[in-house]
Amino acid sequence: MSLDVEESIKQDIDLRLKDIAKCEIQRERRLKLYTGKDRVIPVLGFLKSYGFIHLAAISCVDWLDDGEFEIVYNLWSYRDKAGILVKTRISRENPEIDTAIPIYEIAETYEREIHEMFGVNFPGNPNLTSLFLEDWNGPPPMRKDFDTRKYAAEKYGMRDLTEQLKIGMDKIKGVRDGDEIL
Amino acid sequence: MAIIIKILEYILIAFGVAILGLIYGGIGRKITARIQNRYGPPFYQNILDVLKLFGKRNEASHGVMFDLGPVIALTGILTSLMFLPLGSSTPLISFEGDIFVLFYLLVVSPLGMALGAGEGANPNATIGIARGLTMMLGYELVLFVSIIPLMIHYDTASFYKLVQMQGTFPNWNFFPFFLSAFAGLIALQGMMGLQPFDVVVAPHEIASGPMVEYSGRFLGLLQLWHAIAVIVETGIIADAFLGNGGAGWFILKTFSLFMIVIMVAAIFPRFRIGQAVKFYWKYPLIIGLLGFLVLFIWR
Amino acid sequence: MGLFKFSRSRSLWMMHFCTGCGAIEMPPTMTSRYDMERFGIIPMATPRQSDLLLVTGYLTVKTLKRVVRSYEQMAEPKYVIAFGSCTMRGGMYWDSYNTVKELDLYIPVDIYINGCMPRPEAIIDAFIKLRDMIDKGEANAWKNYRDNLDWYKQNQAKVFDINKWSAKI
Repeated sequence: MSLDVEESIKQDIDLRLKDIAKCEIQRERRLKLYTGKDRVIPVLGFLKSYGFIHLAAISCVDWLDDGEFEIVYNLWSYRDKAGILVKTRISRENPEIDTAIPIYEIAETYEREIHEMFGVNFPGNPNLTSLFLEDWNGPPPMRKDFDTRKYAAEKYGMRDLTEQLKIGMDKIKGVRDGDEIL
Repeated sequence: MAIIIKILEYILIAFGVAILGLIYGGIGRKITARIQNRYGPPFYQNILDVLKLFGKRNEASHGVMFDLGPVIALTGILTSLMFLPLGSSTPLISFEGDIFVLFYLLVVSPLGMALGAGEGANPNATIGIARGLTMMLGYELVLFVSIIPLMIHYDTASFYKLVQMQGTFPNWNFFPFFLSAFAGLIALQGMMGLQPFDVVVAPHEIASGPMVEYSGRFLGLLQLWHAIAVIVETGIIADAFLGNGGAGWFILKTFSLFMIVIMVAAIFPRFRIGQAVKFYWKYPLIIGLLGFLVLFIWR
Repeated sequence: MGLFKFSRSRSLWMMHFCTGCGAIEMPPTMTSRYDMERFGIIPMATPRQSDLLLVTGYLTVKTLKRVVRSYEQMAEPKYVIAFGSCTMRGGMYWDSYNTVKELDLYIPVDIYINGCMPRPEAIIDAFIKLRDMIDKGEANAWKNYRDNLDWYKQNQAKVFDINKWSAKI
């Protein structure tokens, strides 16, 4: 009996990355891999040579209570038709992790976005300028301790329209009572 | 004294032709709308557009040549109007060889616009100019080839004489020279810049091309140029192939030609510039050259 | 002058700034079902040629910059129709950190269309209303922008750096 795809991938990864990464099977054709901050680049390098040639996305999760960011590399293998998530945690106080550009060139844009939205620094990325937020002056907005309502109220300052709304309500009332519209 | 009356008459004609061209454009829009199952704007819509454009303020200007571009375009087309016999009436200027002058003057307007739009330095305008001048290579050749058999047949290079010798209905050039007329009609489609040859302006692609930076009064002048060009361009084909006649007949003939062009335009997508020039140098040119055969058979 | 006013109100060339979801309401408004060309309104390709700016949906700070720039390139008289709840009070983006809440703080707006999204009938209604306003001489938001330029620029400066690109007026 031959092994499932995910089983055989897990065996290969365990064989090669036994000391530096922990591999789990999530479900059919989906794997998870936990590794340390300093080991990410070698792990990614191995996975690319193994067949995971497509970096679909890099995302970031803010674990506010643990005081950590989790960086997730989302990889896909066209040969095995299987996906793998490479997860690593970095401290929230000094968020910094090496860039993945040497292995996946497309990482530049994803890292740029994470830098903008979470304030994570990627030493080695040459282009960490603003992507979506031009002229941004606040803290990184996707962090969980960022109060978006307060920031929006301060920056865009909606006018108080209660008086106008009252007049509008009176008009609606008048229509309901069968009066003519003013 | 006679010359002053003639000039006044010409100014009156120029105004009339401009208004007529605008109304043609409006009716064209209406017809296009009906073909597309819409209601469409009123027939005087283009006149309102031009009036509105002349009522605008603080247009952008990018330099002297930019301002002069529309003026040159309008002057070029008004000058070519001087050479065009409107029906059987005598044009303001007429001499042996004026067909060449007329065709030469037709190039002045696009060139003026190219000079003006070039100073705007908008990349879309630059692309539009390049396409416009390339397109001219295509249709000018076909137009010449379709007119030359007439010049050989009547042994004249004066447009007025050509129209006069042609005579009225049964003697239209259209009947013997129908191949040339067909080639001329295809050239007309490109000359008016309508589909499938509207790659020069192409609003969705290069943001109306050469006109991209023009606004207000400059754009109004360009609209006037376009309106007069409609009459001049259909007028050339009508005069050359559809016989002479009074002013009413002239209007009827140009309007019919305009309708044909509009209806073709309403149902066609657009050629790329390379395809358009290739098309012109293949099928209409061959048809036009076959038109020469009529000379040998008919004479 | 009456003739110019008449032609102005009946020949509105429109530029639709297609941000957000409102853009999808424009094709039915233009094409055979509702056909706005019967009022002389046609889409134009560039701000230079257009009289009417249609802001169809929410604006982020990044797109607001482009809108202001396009608006300033238009030749006067010019009109603005803002589209949907997002342009009025932020709509469903009322607490978003990057979405502009009230558009008329940054550019003058002649008419707001309510709704999320407004249907083509509502858009046609707004066009007719704008036409009547121009006829009566009430659509003067562009004069407002000219007179209160400092106030508008001040508001714009709150959300983005206007010195980087601002057009000279």
